[in-house]
Amino acid sequence: MNADHPDAKLIALLERIALKDQAALKSLYDECAGKLYGLALRVVSQREFAEDVLQEAFLNIWRSAPDYSASLSPPMAWMGLIVRSRALDLLRRRAAERTHLTQEIDETLADTLEGDGPTPLDTAQASEQAWALNQCLGRLDSKQREVVNLAYMRDLSHSELATQLQLPLGTVKTWIRRGLDQLRLCMARFA
Amino acid sequence: MKIHQHPELLDRLAASYALGTLRGQARRRFEAMAREQAPVRAAALIWQSRFSSINELQPDVAPAPAVWTRIENLVLAEREQAALQAARAKAAAQSENDKRWSAWLRSLTVWRVASAAGAVATVAAVTVGLNLRQELGSEIAKLQTQLQATPQIEYVAVLADDKAAASMLVTFDPKNKKLTLQRVGGYQEASDRSLQLWALPPSGGPKSLGVLTNDKLLRLTAGENDVREVPTLAISLEPKGGVPSETGPTGPVLFKGALIQKML
Repeated sequence: MNADHPDAKLIALLERIALKDQAALKSLYDECAGKLYGLALRVVSQREFAEDVLQEAFLNIWRSAPDYSASLSPPMAWMGLIVRSRALDLLRRRAAERTHLTQEIDETLADTLEGDGPTPLDTAQASEQAWALNQCLGRLDSKQREVVNLAYMRDLSHSELATQLQLPLGTVKTWIRRGLDQLRLCMARFA
Repeated sequence: MKIHQHPELLDRLAASYALGTLRGQARRRFEAMAREQAPVRAAALIWQSRFSSINELQPDVAPAPAVWTRIENLVLAEREQAALQAARAKAAAQSENDKRWSAWLRSLTVWRVASAAGAVATVAAVTVGLNLRQELGSEIAKLQTQLQATPQIEYVAVLADDKAAASMLVTFDPKNKKLTLQRVGGYQEASDRSLQLWALPPSGGPKSLGVLTNDKLLRLTAGENDVREVPTLAISLEPKGGVPSETGPTGPVLFKGALIQKML
């Protein structure tokens, strides 16, 4: 890998963090906190919760950096999975604590569905695979794209999506199926 | 069924599996096939990895600056906790009492050097008796003089129980008059009890800073006068809802620790 590649920089930082280098943790935070916080916010939708998720995720990175090399993943993908998993944990905890969570999600989902167009991609940090996925998602019908996005981001089933989006189950299934079919054809071209 | 002889079906199942919309019986069947057939496993991993790129496609949002401070404080508290435990294990290995005592002091010297270097300081202060507490006091006084020159001061305390296990991290941001409390240990009060935070000023009785909720993270409002020059914070166990400040703590003090000033 080219030493100037952003991945090389992040991997070097993770190696130092594995040796308990706190300055490296700060550098990693400066590099990645915005991206990872954006992700956390997308999953949990409230700033305060997203901040808790980011905090837990960085403590997790601090503790499990020695395991990074075994993951064979690009660094942003590895950290993204940590953030997503912490964020989904928080959603589940809150769902268990508070039944009106569904309603809160409804409102944010409604906002999300209104927002259109593919996400602008910061190509400097994105992996090739993320670039390909972004291209392919960009070719989907906007509703299909958003439903596929939400299914993944919040780990929702067809029926959970239907309930929360107040759409017929059949519609959600159709959008997901068509979205996935197109995505499969498109991603096959990048493979 | 040799599903890898049906590549399109395999691809479709693997994509739904990785997206998370393949559920119930169908998901369990797919997982069973993946365990037995390497091509199925490979297809699932490819799609998991593809979908994980969605994590990278979210727009950047800048988190509040306080988040880093919290992470840094927790990392410091964790390291000190680990150092303390290592020191304790070492001390326990020594047979003679006085030997053990000197090992304690040695380990604490190391620990104090770390705290002077900017650490969140006070995990051990409770256990080590008067002498050390005085030394710590002078250490803190020195830090404070150093810090007085800088305009942005934050206050930090690690409240620990009588076994010096950190249980609560307290930070105070005088600019916004916000006290942030974070539960770091596993302590959980009974449902008919509340934890109450007290400032223990050098003169006069304890002053209530607020009652804690069950949340892991709690923000209270406090004026700088309530916190400035207060050497110690403590948490007592009170009846549900807490007691009035004038009453002072009525239950046992569970956690306490010194309050130090820290540069942001």
